[in-house]
Amino acid sequence: MHAVIPYVIASLLFALGVYGVLRRRNAIMVLMAVELMLNAINLILVAADATVRATLTGVQAESWAYPVPEPKSGAIFALFVIVLAAAEVGVGLAIVLQYYRLHRDVVIDEVGLDQHDHEKQVTG
Amino acid sequence: MTVADALLLALGAIAVGSGALVVTSSHLVRAGLYLVVSLGATAGLYLVMGAELVAWVQVLVYVGAVVVLLLFAVMLTRAPIGPSRDLDRPALPAAIIGAGTGFGLTALLADAFRWTEFELPPPGTAQRVGEQVFGAWVLPFEVLSILLLSALVGAIVLSRPDLGARPDPAAPAPAPPPDPVDESAEVVARLERIAARQAAAQARVRQAHADELAAAAAANAPEPAPEPADPMHRQAHDVIFGAHENRPRVGEPAEAEVLDSRIIRGESVVERDEPIEPKRAIEGARPARSRPAIEGDVVEGELVEDGPANSRPAGSKPVESRPVEGKPAEGKPAEGKRPELPAGDDESKER
Repeated sequence: MHAVIPYVIASLLFALGVYGVLRRRNAIMVLMAVELMLNAINLILVAADATVRATLTGVQAESWAYPVPEPKSGAIFALFVIVLAAAEVGVGLAIVLQYYRLHRDVVIDEVGLDQHDHEKQVTG
Repeated sequence: MTVADALLLALGAIAVGSGALVVTSSHLVRAGLYLVVSLGATAGLYLVMGAELVAWVQVLVYVGAVVVLLLFAVMLTRAPIGPSRDLDRPALPAAIIGAGTGFGLTALLADAFRWTEFELPPPGTAQRVGEQVFGAWVLPFEVLSILLLSALVGAIVLSRPDLGARPDPAAPAPAPPPDPVDESAEVVARLERIAARQAAAQARVRQAHADELAAAAAANAPEPAPEPADPMHRQAHDVIFGAHENRPRVGEPAEAEVLDSRIIRGESVVERDEPIEPKRAIEGARPARSRPAIEGDVVEGELVEDGPANSRPAGSKPVESRPVEGKPAEGKPAEGKRPELPAGDDESKER
């Protein structure tokens, strides 16, 4: 397996995510692009686990960097990142829906950061 | 170029292509579905690289939960089904930054790895991953569970505007609750006014009732005044017209029949109307005395006497005692009247 293939795929996905975050105006689309970026990071982690960690057979075990000589910590990191992404999308969608309830809009260009919530009437 | 390389290239092409459609599609829902394709292709990449558990968790959590959540949000914000016009910003700055990021990362990683070939690790089973998670990585695992809990609570708090809402400083401060001591004098005065009004209303009603009673008494007073009827005159009237007035009327039971049903129980009115047979009279324990008394004519005659004078008492004793008195006195006119009814009935039937 050539290691450069998953890495390039992951970097392309990350670039697409960056492009989507910068391009989209709808907050939900921005969240989708962020999911793409997190997915690229997951792919890099798994690829590194499959390539780099698989070759570290003769390295002395360090307590902080190499706690157990099992080459599966990349997959565990990927699991943690998936959990983080789930929490992020949950809270992010709660924020988006609350903002929609207040302003009837999800366009993130028009979010008035200098406005306070009590200047708008809660309609939901 | 091995099979793994071919699979990686194919799945990577699918993932990158659908990812590009995610960030360029003008349909919100279609973007979500392209995201499903991209994440699924990435799960295939995980499978090829031996991270089996991560691949299935990706399918479960990303495709199953996150994308569904995103689509729910798309529908809850009433996004249009068709293409949206004002969905995007101008493309050029984003394209420049994205292309720069992609090119930089690709160059860096390609330069780092060149065309080096690694042998694929043996596919990791869930048992090994579980041992790792609950062995070496148990502290991050617990921290992550706390983070998930706080994210859950935070999402709930964010979704409810009444939790932690700050009062509007522009709005006037709410008036303090009135002091009950200050209120008491006013309340007492109001209660006294109410009580006085009620007493006045009651007095009015009582006065009206008393007036009504007085008027009724004034109206009724002259009525019982008429001179008592002459007993002789009344008796004569009874003798002359009594039989006629007390003749049995068709369709309504004579008063004697009602009385008779009280006098002797077990004898129905219908039986009594028929001519009395001597046999039946003998059958009874006291036929000789009670049978003539039964013959309601006697009772009728008695009623003629007593009816106007005193209204019939409700007690049963005077009713029982009457027939014995009345039988000899009024027997003849009643007997004389008795055959009339069947005769009249027969005539009407014969016609």
